[in-house]
Amino acid sequence: MNNRRMLMFEIIRGAAAILVALIVAMIFIFICSDQPFEALRYMLVSPLVSNGSISMNSIYTIFAAMTPIIFTGLGVCVMFSSNQFNLGGEGCVMLGGFIAALVGIYCSTGTYLDMVIAVLIASIVCAVVLYIPAVLKVKLGASEMVSSLMINYIIMYVVLHFLNNVFADGSKGSVQTFPFAETARIPQLVAGGSKLTWGFILALIFTVLVALFMYRTRWGYSIRMIGINQNFAKYSGMKVGAVIILSQIIGGFLSGMGGALEVLGRYEVFLWRDLPGYGWTGVTVAILAKNNPIFIPIAAFFISYLNRGCTLMATYSDVPAEMVDIIQAVIFLFFAAEKFLAKYRQKLVVAGAKEELSQKNAAAAEGGQK
Amino acid sequence: MLEQISSLIFQTDFVFSIFRITAPILFAALAAVVAEKAGVTNIGLEGIMLISGLFGTLFSYWTQSWMIGVLGAIVVGTLLALMMGFFALKLNTDIILAGIAINTMSAGGTIFLLYLFTGERGNTASLTSSNILIPTVKLPIIDSIPIIGEIISGHAVLTYIAFILVFVIWVLLYKTAIGLKIRAVGENAHAAESVGVSVIKIQYIALAISGILCGMGGAFMSMYYSQSWNTGLIAGRGFIALAAQAMGRGEPVGAMFSSLLFGLAQALRTKVSGMQGVSSNLISAMPYLVTIIGLVLYAASTMKKVKRRKADEANEEKK
Repeated sequence: MNNRRMLMFEIIRGAAAILVALIVAMIFIFICSDQPFEALRYMLVSPLVSNGSISMNSIYTIFAAMTPIIFTGLGVCVMFSSNQFNLGGEGCVMLGGFIAALVGIYCSTGTYLDMVIAVLIASIVCAVVLYIPAVLKVKLGASEMVSSLMINYIIMYVVLHFLNNVFADGSKGSVQTFPFAETARIPQLVAGGSKLTWGFILALIFTVLVALFMYRTRWGYSIRMIGINQNFAKYSGMKVGAVIILSQIIGGFLSGMGGALEVLGRYEVFLWRDLPGYGWTGVTVAILAKNNPIFIPIAAFFISYLNRGCTLMATYSDVPAEMVDIIQAVIFLFFAAEKFLAKYRQKLVVAGAKEELSQKNAAAAEGGQK
Repeated sequence: MLEQISSLIFQTDFVFSIFRITAPILFAALAAVVAEKAGVTNIGLEGIMLISGLFGTLFSYWTQSWMIGVLGAIVVGTLLALMMGFFALKLNTDIILAGIAINTMSAGGTIFLLYLFTGERGNTASLTSSNILIPTVKLPIIDSIPIIGEIISGHAVLTYIAFILVFVIWVLLYKTAIGLKIRAVGENAHAAESVGVSVIKIQYIALAISGILCGMGGAFMSMYYSQSWNTGLIAGRGFIALAAQAMGRGEPVGAMFSSLLFGLAQALRTKVSGMQGVSSNLISAMPYLVTIIGLVLYAASTMKKVKRRKADEANEEKK
């Protein structure tokens, strides 16, 4: 009974946060556009509908954009669940993509095992990288947040160094690697320019796996318990250090996999010159999903939809696409705000308690009559 | 090659550039120090600097006065920090998440705001002219001393302010009532509350100071360092500052030295990047690597101290 109320409350609260963000967006659109309604229509409707009919291609594009952020979102979800603010997902995406690209170029066996090997090696390397901040935190108490942020930059510069000086394809004007072996590329799920690959299906499979891991295994339970109350977990005999390390290794593994699938699925060569930003979007997605793996694809869909809407709006009207960052941040802030609408929640709780009480009283009264 | 490097390092303009490069990191590091002392981790430094840097340029362009530009940047920085405070302290958003939100907002939001206000896309190069940049000062007597004059004199006003602020923040934290309260709240919020200190108010104040410092850092970047605003203006300096704070053990003076270390590393990188056989990318990674090593050393030394204290206590009990 109470759970249903709380779920209702969470949904209402989420809707309210989105509404606030849309109002902010509308204010900005009205200030900066000559045709505000046109712009708004492009932002909200055109990702789904174009020329009066539902555009499958546009939807595939949204799905394709969801793939990496589902992975980083899941990664953040696992890491934040143990109350570790590890922000290394960003670097792991880049590193994962780079390692996968290298494996795809230089270690090709000529069979379709290539992509499996490339993605797996990339994920494992990233898991190892995030082992560093985890171990520093557990053994020495060094802030995992600062060290993981630093690791992002180290990864970026080291990748750039190897890209520029060792693995660059000298015959091209821009800095890029040689093309990946055909067998290392992630196959497309649908034909056309949407670049929707099997990576998307894998993302959904991993969502289920991570959800099962978090809610149906001893390890997942330990991770969540440590996040809620570390001391309690410690005194009830959990291996806190090992579990914290495990959660961050998994986070690195997932983020790396997201980067690998993104690079092998969407590109033919590796050419990222900067951190791609999926790690930060992953944090947003995890917050919108309330750290619950099952909701991650929904949150990722929402963010991708919003991005696509803003891109279309910028293409066809006079509002810059970058507005999406403001909308995202506002939604993010209100979603993460525990006390947003807290009074309303209080009322709900009180109402629920009263109802239960009156039921009990009624039951007691009946019992008294007998 | 070593000779080449050493001949570069022992030049006055190299040492001069260290101070110039250090100043913005130092502003942000001090901002991190003050916030952290009050128990608030301000990870939004990066975003606040980017946004306030933009407004610094805009205000100076509108009023054709660099001073109003800097003031505008400070005001915007403070407002952003207070907004973070509102979400974190009033609405219970985790402060780290509030900071991430500010950073998210700043990335595209600044481009959007710039377009909204001026119609420019991506940078303000066409708006800035040299008369609205932060001026440099020649210090009267010091300027005429041979080597020292070349190094110390001729910096921007804000560079001097950055280093003066190290002392000011130290005084604020250790010699004033408000500083005592800030430290008390950071050490143990419950204890502070029990003796009548309003924890939320103190944390708001600490965040506001942090915002002021970020505003100065942002203005320094856009109105002096790179002469105009662009999206990649801050380039991780906010995060480096967090590291400088951690490495400097959360103290203003310590943060200054670790900021100088970063300044040195970055200055080296600019110098060395043109040389044969040196990878500028790997050199760019050095400061971050140094930070992790610094963090580890610091954490290890505190761990030892704690262990020793515990051992001592155990011995005392036995007696």
